[in-house]
Amino acid sequence: MNIIHQVEQLITQDKVDIFLGYKELDGHLIPHGFTRDNLDELKELQTGENRYSLEKIATHLTEKHPDIRIGIIARDCNQRSLNLLYTWNQLNPDQIETVNVNCCPSPLKLHGDCSYLEPKQTGAFKKEHGIDFNIDPDVLVDSYDNNERFSRWMYEFSKCIKCYGCRNICPVCFCTECSLEHASLIEPGTLPADIPIFHLVRATHMAGRCIDCGLCEDACPSHIPLRLLYREVNEIVSSVFDYRPGDGMEKSPFTIIGDKVVLEPKPMDFQVEGEK
Amino acid sequence: MTIKRITFIQELLKFIGLEGRLHLEWISSAEAQKYVQVVTDFTEKIRKMGPNPLRADSILEGEIIL
Repeated sequence: MNIIHQVEQLITQDKVDIFLGYKELDGHLIPHGFTRDNLDELKELQTGENRYSLEKIATHLTEKHPDIRIGIIARDCNQRSLNLLYTWNQLNPDQIETVNVNCCPSPLKLHGDCSYLEPKQTGAFKKEHGIDFNIDPDVLVDSYDNNERFSRWMYEFSKCIKCYGCRNICPVCFCTECSLEHASLIEPGTLPADIPIFHLVRATHMAGRCIDCGLCEDACPSHIPLRLLYREVNEIVSSVFDYRPGDGMEKSPFTIIGDKVVLEPKPMDFQVEGEK
Repeated sequence: MTIKRITFIQELLKFIGLEGRLHLEWISSAEAQKYVQVVTDFTEKIRKMGPNPLRADSILEGEIIL
């Protein structure tokens, strides 16, 4: 297979110390590191629709071995998060080699490999009381008033079992100290989760960072529409700051103190809904 | 930086359904009257909006249907 040959060359020509790809275990593709020492395993290297944040493994490896050179299988979403991690100085582009694989289908390539290609199904109860996975954020704001939106989001958040799966899978979550485990902000190990604080803290941290890979929503055992939430978060970032995370090597507006302030505080003109 | 964050959080709270409960105003320590005016206006606005639906007791009392 073409890709195996490509990876073999990277490893044998000493361009990378480790190559992060997938191999099959009990019918599932799981992340696996291929090195010169286990070169015979390379024939098991596979790609399919399964996704994992390989960049996160790369970030952890780099943390322990700052000089390591890493090869990585990259879809479009992986590429976006690599770009983002470069801008946050978590990875060095000189130490990363990517091997691009098939991703979303397009008019040029009809076949796509991604777990996201199957649209999410929203059940009747969720449609009635919660939030449809596939709803457009603008439609959500237009169809429900403040209170309705709030109770719908609270319904979704109240299902949270605080498994931290969304954070653990997130390729762009790399802080050594996480606010979500800070005893005075959100106490670890207590249930029910502090809602909506837990989710809003995470949503705030996703501003200017989330690259819309959707792994958090895939990982969430409680089916909270996290991708929708973070998508709106970055819709705000894009409309206010004209910044799209992972698009290029530009730094997040929240990390730069601008030369001059272009925003103005909003006037206090909010009309109370339902006021006579 | 503050205004970037506040502008973002105002929009986020709007999306979640808690619009209008966060306000930013630049007031110098020399502007006592402006300070009083802003605080009075904001208090009045919040009073009209009613209690924050986030209060723990309103969840317990079933005012918010989860």
